[in-house]
Amino acid sequence: MMGASHRVVAMVTLVVTVAIAVLAAGLVIGDAAALGLGLPAVAVLGGAGLLIARTAARDEHALAHARAVEREARADADRLLKVIDNTSAVIYMRDVRGRYLLVNRQYEQLFGVRREDLVGLTDHDLFAKPVADAFRANDLKALAQETPTVMEEAAPQPDGTHTYITVKYPITDVDGHPYAVCGISTDITDRKRAEEQVRRLNAELEHRVRERTVELEASTRELDAFAYSVSHDLRAPLRTLNGFSEALLEDYSARLDQTGRDYLRRIGAAADRMGGLIDDLLNLSRASRAELRRRPVDLTALAEQIADELSHADPDRKVELTVQRGLACMGDSALLELVLRNLLSNAWKFTSRRATARIDVGAVRDRSADDGAVSDDGASGVFYVRDNGVGFDEAYAHKLFVPFQRLHPAIDFSGNGVGLAIVARVVARHHGRIWAEGTPGQGAAFYFTVDARPGTDGS
Amino acid sequence: MRDAPILLVEDNPDDITLTLRAFAKNGVGNEIVVLTDGELLLTRLLPADGTSPLRPAIILMDIHLPKFSGLELLQRIRSDERTRYVPVIMLTTSTEERDVVASYQLGANSFVCKPVAYDEFLRTVRTLSAYWLDINKRCPSSECPP
Ligand SMILES: Nc1ncnc2c1ncn2[C@@H]1O[C@H](COP(=O)(O)OP(=O)(O)OP(=O)(O)O)[C@@H](O)[C@H]1O
Ligand SMILES: [Mg+2]
Repeated sequence: MMGASHRVVAMVTLVVTVAIAVLAAGLVIGDAAALGLGLPAVAVLGGAGLLIARTAARDEHALAHARAVEREARADADRLLKVIDNTSAVIYMRDVRGRYLLVNRQYEQLFGVRREDLVGLTDHDLFAKPVADAFRANDLKALAQETPTVMEEAAPQPDGTHTYITVKYPITDVDGHPYAVCGISTDITDRKRAEEQVRRLNAELEHRVRERTVELEASTRELDAFAYSVSHDLRAPLRTLNGFSEALLEDYSARLDQTGRDYLRRIGAAADRMGGLIDDLLNLSRASRAELRRRPVDLTALAEQIADELSHADPDRKVELTVQRGLACMGDSALLELVLRNLLSNAWKFTSRRATARIDVGAVRDRSADDGAVSDDGASGVFYVRDNGVGFDEAYAHKLFVPFQRLHPAIDFSGNGVGLAIVARVVARHHGRIWAEGTPGQGAAFYFTVDARPGTDGS
Repeated sequence: MRDAPILLVEDNPDDITLTLRAFAKNGVGNEIVVLTDGELLLTRLLPADGTSPLRPAIILMDIHLPKFSGLELLQRIRSDERTRYVPVIMLTTSTEERDVVASYQLGANSFVCKPVAYDEFLRTVRTLSAYWLDINKRCPSSECPP
C-alpha cells in the first residue's frame, strides 16, 4: 500500500500547488477567466500526480499490487483526461527538454494536431522559430520558479495572432526535482483587442483635442489681430469724419445755413457713435480674449467702488444703493468688475426716471445646487443686482444678453446693447449662469453665479 | 518750452491737418515739425552726417508708422545719449493694453489716445500742451545732455 500513500502525498502536494497557481493567477490577472482555470488545473496536476505515482509503483516490491494499481491509475487518468478535455483552456505538459508529454483536446483543436502525434515533439517542430523560442523561454522561466508563473503569450492562429494569459508551473518528482512544466492558457484575444481599440480611440481623441487646441489658438490669435487692427484702422477714418465736420462748422459756419449746419452735426455725431460701437465691440471681444486669472475677489468692495464712481459722475441723481457685506468669490477680478460695472450702470440708467431710485447688490442661496455653495456671510451662491427702475417685459428676456439687442428705445435710454453681452460672456467663462427677472414699471433683477472650482476656461 | 519746436511723427494726412489745427486753435505758437516716417525722424534727431540735430520740446508719436513702428523709434531714441531724456508722448488710436505697456516699458513719458470726437481731441491737445510746454520742468541740460 506504499504506492497508494505515495499517490496520496503526490496528489495532495499537487492540489496545493494548483490552489496556489490559481490563486496567483487570479491575483495577477484579476479576471474571472483566471478563476476558470481552477478546474483544468486540478485535472492536469492530478494527471501529473498519476505519472509520479506510476514511477513510484515501479519501485513497489509487490508486483501483483503493481498491476492493479496501474489499472486503477489508467482509469484515473482517463477520468482526469475527460475533465481536462472539456475545458475551454488550452492545457499541455512538456518535459524539461521541451518535449510534449500531454495536451488536452482544446490544444488539439486549436493547432489541428492529434495528441498521439505530438508526443516527443517540441514547439520547434510545430511553430516558427520566434514563437517556439518564446514558448521555450517561458517554460524555462517557469521551471526555475517554485510557484506558478503568470505570463502573456502569443500564438499564431488562422485569423491572426491570438493572445493568451498563461499559468506555467514546474512538475516535480518525489525528490522535488522538476521534470516537466505544465501550462494552462486562456485566450484573451478579444479582451486584448478591446483594450487595443480603447487605446487607439483614446490616442485618436487626444490627437483630435490637440488639433482642435491648435486651431483654437490660431483663431484666437487671428481674432486678436483682427480686433487690434479694428481698434486702430477703423477708428482713424472716423476721426477724419468727425474732425473735419467739426472744422467746417467752426471755420465756415457763416457760409452755411441752418440745414447745412444740421447736416454737418449729424455726420459728426454718426462718426462719434460708430466710434462708440467699435469700442463696445472691442470690449466684448476683450471679455472673450482676456486671460482669466482666478483669485479670491471681494465683490462688495468692487461694487462699492463702482457705485461711488457712478454717483460722482452723476451727482444730481438721488439713488439709495446698498451693497451686502462680504460678497466674495473665486474669479478674475478685472472681468468680474466688468460684470458689476455693466449691471450697476444699467440699474443706474434704467432707474433714472424714479424720484427715489433703489439699487441693491447682494447674494441669495442657490436653490438649484444642493451643495449649497453659500455660506451666511454671502460668499458665493447667487449674486444679484436689483433695481426699482422701468423694468422690462420678460417675454423678451432671451434677447437681453444678445449683442446689440435692446428692449428700450435709444430715445428713452441711451446705449448700444453690448453691456449685458459682455456680462454673459464673462459669467460663461467662469462656468456660471446668468438670468434676469423684470416687471414693466416696477424694476429688474439680474442674477449670476460664479463657479468656484478652478479649471479650464469656459470660453 | 514755448520756443523749441514740437515734433509730430504721423503719416496720416488727415490726422496731421487736424492735429495742426488743434494746436493752432489752442494758441500753441511753437513751430511744429511734421515727419511722416521713422527714417526721417532718425535722420533729424540723430544725424550721422554732422548736421546739427533737431532739439524738440516734445515728440508726439503715433505707433503705426511706415518703415519703423513708433515703438521701435522709441527704443532708438531712448538708447541714444543725445535723446535719452527728450519727452516722448505716444499719441495714437490704439487703446490696446499691450501697446500701452510696451510704450511705458520702452520709456515713453505719456500715452494719449486720440479720441474720435474732435471737440474731445481739442481739449486733449490743450491739456497736453499746457502740461508739457508750461508746467512740466525738464531735466537741466547740464545733467541730462540735450
Ligand atoms: N436694469 C435694467 N432694467 C430694465 N431693463 C434693462 C436693465 N438692464 C438691461 N435692460 C435691458 O436690456 C437691454 C440690454 O442691456 P445692455 O446693458 O446690454 O445694453 P445697454 O445698456 O442698452 O447699452 P450698453 O450697455 O451697450 O451701453 C437694455 O437696452 C434694456 O432694454
Ligand atoms: Mg448697459
